Amino acid sequence: MTDRLSGSFRDPSGFMFTSDGIFYRQVNHHYQKEYDLLMNSGLYEQLTRSGTLISHTEVNLGLAPQPDLAYKVIRPEPVGFISYPYEWCFNQLKDAAILTLAIGRRALEFGMSLKDASAYNIQFHRGRPVFIDTLSFEEYVEGQPWVAYKQFCQHFLAPLALMAKTDIRLLQLLKVYIDGIPLDLASELLPASTKMNFGLSTHIHLHARSQKKYADKEISHQEVESKGKLTKASTLAFFDSLISTVRALEVPTIETEWADYYQDNNYTENSFEAKRKLVGQFVKQVFPETVWDLGANTGEFSRVASELEIPTVAFDIDPGAVQQNYDQVRKNKEKFMLPLVMDLTNPSPNLGWRNAERDSMTARGPADLVMALALIHHLAISNNVPLRSLAEFFAELSEHLIIEFVPKEDSQVRRLLTSRLDIFPDYTLEGFKQAFEPTFSVLEEKPVQGSTRTLFLMKRK
Amino acid sequence: MITIIASIVSKPLPYLDPGSGSMLIQLAVGAVLGAGVLIRVFWKNIKAFFSGKKVEDDSIEDPTAIDYDDPTAIMEDDPTVVPPTKE
Repeated sequence: MTDRLSGSFRDPSGFMFTSDGIFYRQVNHHYQKEYDLLMNSGLYEQLTRSGTLISHTEVNLGLAPQPDLAYKVIRPEPVGFISYPYEWCFNQLKDAAILTLAIGRRALEFGMSLKDASAYNIQFHRGRPVFIDTLSFEEYVEGQPWVAYKQFCQHFLAPLALMAKTDIRLLQLLKVYIDGIPLDLASELLPASTKMNFGLSTHIHLHARSQKKYADKEISHQEVESKGKLTKASTLAFFDSLISTVRALEVPTIETEWADYYQDNNYTENSFEAKRKLVGQFVKQVFPETVWDLGANTGEFSRVASELEIPTVAFDIDPGAVQQNYDQVRKNKEKFMLPLVMDLTNPSPNLGWRNAERDSMTARGPADLVMALALIHHLAISNNVPLRSLAEFFAELSEHLIIEFVPKEDSQVRRLLTSRLDIFPDYTLEGFKQAFEPTFSVLEEKPVQGSTRTLFLMKRK
Repeated sequence: MITIIASIVSKPLPYLDPGSGSMLIQLAVGAVLGAGVLIRVFWKNIKAFFSGKKVEDDSIEDPTAIDYDDPTAIMEDDPTVVPPTKE
């Protein structure tokens, strides 16, 4: 069974497809010269050995879904969970931006250039960003400007600048603008002070003005070329300018709701340890192939799974907590943990052309095991989700579930109910069990020592 | 006719529109930055000449550099994946 991936259609150089569940990429004749140059110039070797470009093997050409166009069929090293830039924390997007620029700069040394700079060409693989589009390289012609400059600014620089200088939540604009944030919009939203910053004033503000000035004028590629040449030295300096502009952008360690949660919650150190132990027991009982930790905060409990070398995705709504988690992944070179920003009350939808370019959160599942620790009260009480609907949601995501029931007596829940009407008569341990009964069987039920909470291990019916 | 010949001899057009405004600003900024580099190198050399110190390397951390100190970073990947054969 061969299936062309619905998001892989823009570039005539080739496309991704799956066959018997394995991902392949067809390389078209159109791209033959560039592919050979990539492979023979030493660039492929340099980038794959440094772990910055996904490696691949050439396989039987007979697998090609469009044999008349096919020059090669390659099988890229598989990447675990596919994530999208609107799910990354600031430092993830920043690392991805620097990687894209570093690859673009390095390619010049080998007589090649990056022809696109899409943030969707980066994935987090074994704890590090990696470039996944083997067909993004073309021959470098000295004198020519970088064709992916506009895309780079829209996909990376504009969202990073907006997050750092205006508001961290503006990353979510990437969900609306699938090809990156329009520069005129970014320019308008950025504070005037960014006009004093050389990098941002040229690459965003002036760039946006230049785009506007030439927007309705017909200027051919040849005419642009006739305006001047960019020497290789200038192109390198141009990349360096972009790199230092990106590097200078920072988001201060964000003190948000959850980042300090563990210092201020219902757990004494002992009950925290007891909970960790229980979670560890339950995880080992299932020994899942993949884990999704929902409401993972900084990944304290996700690490129970990832430290067992189980690929674990740690979702949290708070970009500050996700960033703390990611910083830890980078610092300790953790390979099995992927922290992502996700609002579970409105998870990433299917997006793009025919709603089929970027998959929804659920479409990227199911996971083998879902963990929902200290989460249920936020969904059931803050967001009024009926318990039964919650059970159905978890059943959609995974076969196994570790879930913590947080009762009304718990101070966290009391806090949620202080300023609102308690319309949740069924929010009790009994009511919870009844609501989950049609979809899950309970394998384990253990009280968390030193707290009023209960931890369950369940299996989908 | 002339455009047809021109498009054959010069580089093929990119598959995404690079935007003429984006290309033109890049030419302008690139030229300024290129000149800046020349001046910086020139100035550094002059300083180095008078101070007798070596020109220091101010290159930034490069993720595409191969880390020979940590070969596992390369080798730990799936060992069953055979490196591609070069033609």
